[in-house]
Amino acid sequence: MFFHIVLERNMQLHPRHFGRDLRDKLVAKLMKDVEGTCSGRHGFIVAITGIESVGKGLIRDGTGFVTFPVKYQCVVFRPFKGEILEAVVTMVNKMGFFAEAGPVQIFVSNHLIPDDMEFQSGDIPNYTTSDGSVKIQKDSEVRLKIIGTRVDATEIFCIGTIKDDFLGVISDPGATS
Amino acid sequence: MGSIEPFNRLVKLAARAFYDDITTKGENQPKTGRSDNRGIAVVILDALTRRQWVREEDLAKDLKLHTKQLRRTLRFFEEEKLVTRDHRKETAKGAKIYNAAVAATADGQQTGREGDEKLKMHTHSYCCLDYAQIYDVVRYRLHRMKKKLKDELESKNTVQEYICPNCSKRYTALDALRLISPYDEYFHCESCNGVLVAESDKLAAQELGDGDDNARRRRHENLKDMLTKMEEQLKPLIDQLARVKDLPVPEFGSLQAWELRANAAGRSVNGDLNANDPSKSSQGLGFGGTPMPYVGETKVEVAFSGIDQKGENVKSANSSAPMKVLPPWMIKEGMNLTKEQRGETKVETKGGSLTASELSDDKKSTTANDDAKNIQDEYVKAYYAALLMRQREQEEAVKKEQESGNAAMSNEAYNTSTERQVGMKSKREDDYEGDDNEWEEAPPTGGTTEHFKVKDLNVEAEASEDDEDDIDWEEG
Ligand SMILES: [Zn+2]
Repeated sequence: MFFHIVLERNMQLHPRHFGRDLRDKLVAKLMKDVEGTCSGRHGFIVAITGIESVGKGLIRDGTGFVTFPVKYQCVVFRPFKGEILEAVVTMVNKMGFFAEAGPVQIFVSNHLIPDDMEFQSGDIPNYTTSDGSVKIQKDSEVRLKIIGTRVDATEIFCIGTIKDDFLGVISDPGATS
Repeated sequence: MGSIEPFNRLVKLAARAFYDDITTKGENQPKTGRSDNRGIAVVILDALTRRQWVREEDLAKDLKLHTKQLRRTLRFFEEEKLVTRDHRKETAKGAKIYNAAVAATADGQQTGREGDEKLKMHTHSYCCLDYAQIYDVVRYRLHRMKKKLKDELESKNTVQEYICPNCSKRYTALDALRLISPYDEYFHCESCNGVLVAESDKLAAQELGDGDDNARRRRHENLKDMLTKMEEQLKPLIDQLARVKDLPVPEFGSLQAWELRANAAGRSVNGDLNANDPSKSSQGLGFGGTPMPYVGETKVEVAFSGIDQKGENVKSANSSAPMKVLPPWMIKEGMNLTKEQRGETKVETKGGSLTASELSDDKKSTTANDDAKNIQDEYVKAYYAALLMRQREQEEAVKKEQESGNAAMSNEAYNTSTERQVGMKSKREDDYEGDDNEWEEAPPTGGTTEHFKVKDLNVEAEASEDDEDDIDWEEG
């Protein structure tokens, strides 16, 4: 799920950036530093949408670096248990398959793949129905439901299922090419 | 309010099904046999089905429980969404309102609690079953239980576990990212690099060495057993839920709303004169007791005096007094008000009754100009406006009857109608001031009633019908 929230971060800026465009430099550095990172608490920071405030800088002894407390608005993506996501399959093996929904990695184990889909090893390992009409392989797009999340300080990992109504493959690159 | 019985049964069944073995003791207390209070939750819920809003101290006293223990259990039930609680600081007066409400619902006389007359503020907690929510909570709980078992049965939504056959280290699917190997399509043990096997057994995870199929089957059977057992054992509860489904849910509302309603109901049941609560009894004294004789006297006088102006005023004075007696109007309106407003109304009501008695004592009333009573006056005005409308209608009906020369009309009805008719014509505030003045003069004239009578009888033939009525009334 996406959220638009306000976060705060202490930014350290090198003295060479002090000048007219100090603020721009600060924002650019902030974007570079936080966009794409993940915190267990808030999820993945997708994009910074605005700066709320830049506090008073504090000069650090010895280095001349200055620390600014910056409050910024950003869009975060935080997966939740029970959430339905669309994801791209990145790897298929005998134990199941891995998929990505943006920055989130999701593992679907083989017992959460419908029983009528069998694992086929080979050049392109895949799960296929007995009549061959549905196939899950690398780059397939699937709709899945998250049934568990592992949230670490800097990482979120999910496990999902496609063994439910309206879940499973939503497009098959093999069929079009 | 719908019948409460089916819902109480639901509560009792749910209590026994889900809260039978709940212990509510602090974590740090030792678990000795003596302090084992399992089952107390059921007792408390049962007790609550026999009450509405109840002060928690009273409940504890009734159940011979320690207040702390009761609180702990109630807090638990609050979290479980079975009861709503309310806490408020109150003086003895607030407690009285509650007591009156209790007395009203128990339709007995108020058990006067003279003990708590002190003016200290105490925080009191009240609790009450929330039937609507209980219904939902129980249904949700059953739904979750069933869903969990069914999901397990179909191995849906379960986190796959993996085990290393070499070192018996366990992993879950959440570790998958760390377990994949670039060389084959299996998961590998982090410690010994052995190939992990899926552990398809969750609820019946004990039989490890068994073949996959065997374990799966056994687990399946276990789950099925559990599901059927659940359906069997909870059948009475489920049946009761179905029975309750289309019934209107008993709703007590918030503590304040409930008190207001209970008090109002108690009043209308007990009648005006033997009122339970203080505000009411004062009204009863003011209007039910003293003024009535005066009403009778004045009427006679007016009818014979032939001085219409004066008579009307006196009459309207009387009419204003009985009008104020009606407490149900105040109370019903009051229920929509905030508490302060209601409090004001109450004070006002008392003031009103005072005014009446003052009047009857021929003293000048001062209440009308009081700033604090402006709101009350607004209400009174609104009330009179409504009343006048109705009176006009009644009056017309009465007039018709009069015109048809219905001699059988009761004296009382007749008097009331004239009185109202008169009262209708003059504005309410004018009445008030007029009353006071007239009142002072009234008793002396009352003393000379017979003079007037004779005179008027001679002078006004028209009024003869009235006269007769009045005389009868006086004598009777
Ligand atoms: Zn191992």
